[in-house]
Amino acid sequence: MAPAPFTNEIKTLRFLAGEMTQGDLGDKVGVTRQTIAAIEQGKYSPSLEVAFRIAHVFGKPLDEVFRWTNDIA
Amino acid sequence: MSFREKIHWVALAGLVAAFGWYFLSYPWEIANSSAGMYAAVWMLLPVTIIFLVPMIAGTTYFAIRTPKEANLKEDEREKTIHLRGTHVAYYPLVLGIWANIFALINGLNYGWSVNILMATLVAAELVRVGAQLYFYRRGY
Repeated sequence: MAPAPFTNEIKTLRFLAGEMTQGDLGDKVGVTRQTIAAIEQGKYSPSLEVAFRIAHVFGKPLDEVFRWTNDIA
Repeated sequence: MSFREKIHWVALAGLVAAFGWYFLSYPWEIANSSAGMYAAVWMLLPVTIIFLVPMIAGTTYFAIRTPKEANLKEDEREKTIHLRGTHVAYYPLVLGIWANIFALINGLNYGWSVNILMATLVAAELVRVGAQLYFYRRGY
């Protein structure tokens, strides 16, 4: 499986948000803890809706949570 | 491991146990007769019990242990895993149907036909559950 062409700051943002657990974030976003873990590890690319929901939980714009790493062709 | 993944493992074990027993106990010497067909139909009763008992017990056990997870709706990743597993299982299903058509054209009796259909169903289910478990383990 090819790695996702972007990284994310979810783990750091969770830590800064009072050491929020993956389960807590999952509850706020409406996905399971395992899905948050898969997103954090870059194993699963979330839908735009879930990405926006995650960013909204941390009160950050989308590009501060997810960062594109490859050059866009 | 999520609640749904655990249930998938239970389903896999149930499938192997129930249909393993079926294919090992089936009286293959009478397969090409109507008695073979009726034997297959009657054997479905214990097969259903062998499959359902661990499924019900497992689901109840894990639901009691993790009630919050058991009540969660399938999220987008789980839905995708579900759909991809079903897609992969389509191929053995098609192969089995072709095998059954071939058997019927060549004069094999209903007993064989029922067993080929049963094997097709089991193969498709094993591929579906196996693929979904693989995707759960991989993350997607």
